[in-house]
Amino acid sequence: MMLEHILVLSAYLFSIGIYGLITSRNMVRALMCLELILNAVNINFVTFSDFFDSRQLKGNIFSIFVIAIAAAEAAIGSAIVASIYRNRKSTRINQSTLLNK
Amino acid sequence: MFNLFLAVFPEIFIINATFILLIHGVVFSTSKKYDYPPLVSNVGWLGLLSVLITLLLLAAGAPLLTIAHLFWNNFFRRDNFTYFCQILLLLSTAGTISMCFDFFEQERFDAFEFIVLILLSTCSMLFMISAYDLIAMYLAIELQSLCFYVIAASKRKSEFSTGAGLKYLILGAFSSGILLFGCSMIYGSTGATHFDQLAKILTGYEITGARSSGIFMGILFIAVGFLFKITAVPFHMWAPDIYEGSPTPVTAFLSIAPKISIFANILRVFIYGSHVATLQQIFFFCSIASMILGALAAMAQTKVKRLLAYSSIGHVGYICIGFSCGTIEGIQSLLIGIFIYALMTIDAFAIVLALRQTRVKYIADLGALAKTNPILAITFSITMFSYAGIPPLAGFCSKFYLFFAALGCGAYFLASVGVVTSVIGCFYYIRLVKRMFFGTPRTWILYEPMDRNKSLLLAMTSSFITLFFLYPSPLFSVTHQMALSLYL
Repeated sequence: MMLEHILVLSAYLFSIGIYGLITSRNMVRALMCLELILNAVNINFVTFSDFFDSRQLKGNIFSIFVIAIAAAEAAIGSAIVASIYRNRKSTRINQSTLLNK
Repeated sequence: MFNLFLAVFPEIFIINATFILLIHGVVFSTSKKYDYPPLVSNVGWLGLLSVLITLLLLAAGAPLLTIAHLFWNNFFRRDNFTYFCQILLLLSTAGTISMCFDFFEQERFDAFEFIVLILLSTCSMLFMISAYDLIAMYLAIELQSLCFYVIAASKRKSEFSTGAGLKYLILGAFSSGILLFGCSMIYGSTGATHFDQLAKILTGYEITGARSSGIFMGILFIAVGFLFKITAVPFHMWAPDIYEGSPTPVTAFLSIAPKISIFANILRVFIYGSHVATLQQIFFFCSIASMILGALAAMAQTKVKRLLAYSSIGHVGYICIGFSCGTIEGIQSLLIGIFIYALMTIDAFAIVLALRQTRVKYIADLGALAKTNPILAITFSITMFSYAGIPPLAGFCSKFYLFFAALGCGAYFLASVGVVTSVIGCFYYIRLVKRMFFGTPRTWILYEPMDRNKSLLLAMTSSFITLFFLYPSPLFSVTHQMALSLYL
C-alpha cells in the first residue's frame, strides 16, 4: 500500500470533481461534484496523517472539520437550488444562466 | 482561568450577540400576540450596536489582547497587525450595516436573518484575520463564505438574486476546495499546519534538494484559492455577475469585508508562513492582468453595479502590486491601499443605494443628476475621481504609494503597467461624471433625499477622501507598524 497510489487516487477524484463542476448542465450534479472535491481532499488528509503523523493526527482532525463543512455547504447549496427551481421551474444550467451580459 | 478568554472577548461578545438576536428575532417575529412583526430594522439597529460594542471591546482592550496564551497560540495570534485590521473590518461592517436600513424599508425586505448572518460572518472574519493555523484559517474562511452564500441569494423571488447566490456558491466552494487541496499538500509535505512551524520548515526551501514538489503544489494551490476569493484575474470568473445580481447591500459587503480579511490571510500565509517558498510570479502576473482587465472591461459596461465590480477587480490588481514587491514598503502600501479602498467602496455603495429609489441600474439613468441633486453629484464625482487616482484625493495617495513601493524594489514593469492602466481607467470614471453633469436622460428621474445614516456615512467618507492628503501620517505610521509586526 504505497503512499503514491492513494495520492494518485485522490488527485484523480479531485480532477473528476473539478471537471464535473465546471461542465455539468445540472445544478444537482454540480453540487455532487463539489462534494467529490471535498472528499478527495479528505482522502489526502487522512492518508498523510496515517503515514506521517501518528502522534498528533492533525490530518484526521482537519478532515472531520471538512466533513462537517461539506455537509453545511451541501445544505446551503440544496436550499439555493430549491429556490432557483421555484423561480424558474428547471435546474438546468445553460448559456443564459451562466452568461449574464 | 479567566485569563483564558481575555484574548477573545470581542469574538465572544459578537457571537453571543448573534445568538441572542437570532432567538429574539425568532421568538418575537413568530408571536401571534404582537401580530408577527417584521423585525429587520429592530435587529438591524441592535446588530449595528453590537458591532460598535465589539469595536470598543477590541480597541480599548488592546493591552489585554496580546497575552500570548499557550492555549490560543495554536489557533490564532493577536498583534498590531490583527488589531488594526480588525478595527478596519469592524468599522466597514458598521458602515455597511448602517447603509442597509433604508433598503429594508423600500424593498420590504423582512428577513431579520440577514443581519444575524452578517454578524456571524463578521465574527468569522475576526477569526480569519487573526488565524495562525491552516485549520483555523480554513474554518473561518468557510464560515464567512457560507453566510455570504445565503445572503447573496436572500431575495427569494428574484431570479437574478438566486442565480447570483448559486454562482457565488459554486465559485466560493470551488476556490475553497482548491485552497484545501493546497493545505493538504503542505500538511503532507511538511507535517505541520501551524504557521510558526511552517515558517521554520519552509525557510530552507531555496536550497536545491529541499525543493519539494509537494510544497510547490501546495503553495500554488493555496495561492490560486486565495486569488479566486479576492476575484483577481484570471480567476475572476463570475464576479461581475455575482456583484450585479445580489441585492445591493450584499454587493457592498462582498466588495469590502471579505477582501480585507482575505488579504490579511494572504499576508499571514505568504509573508510569515512561507517567505521564500512564495510564488511571487503568480501574484505579479495576476496583478498585471487584473489592472489591465479592470481598466479595459469596465469601459463597455452600461450598468452601475457591474462597473463597480470591474473597478473593484482593477483595484485589487493595484493592491496586489504592493504584495508582489516583497518589501516592507510594499506591504505598507498594500495596507494603505486596502484602507483607502474600503472607504472609497463604502462611499460608492452608499451613493448607489441612495439612488435606488427609482431603480437606477443603468449608467444612463444618472443623467442630469447634477441638476436635480447637485450635492450628490459632487459627492459621486469626488468618489469617482478618487477611484481614478486624481490628486489630491485619497485614491491618488494610495496609488502613488503603491507605485512608489514598486519602483523602490525594482519592479519597473509593474509600476509602468499600473500607471498606464490608471490613465486608461480614468476614461470611464470621468465618463460617468460627464454623464452626470452634462448628459440628458430620456426620462427625467427625481430622486428622494436619502436618509440620515447614509448622509452621515457619505459625509464622513467623502470628507476623509478629500482631506486625506493634508494629514496622511497617522495612516502611514499605523500601516508601518502593521507591516513590521507581520515580519516578527
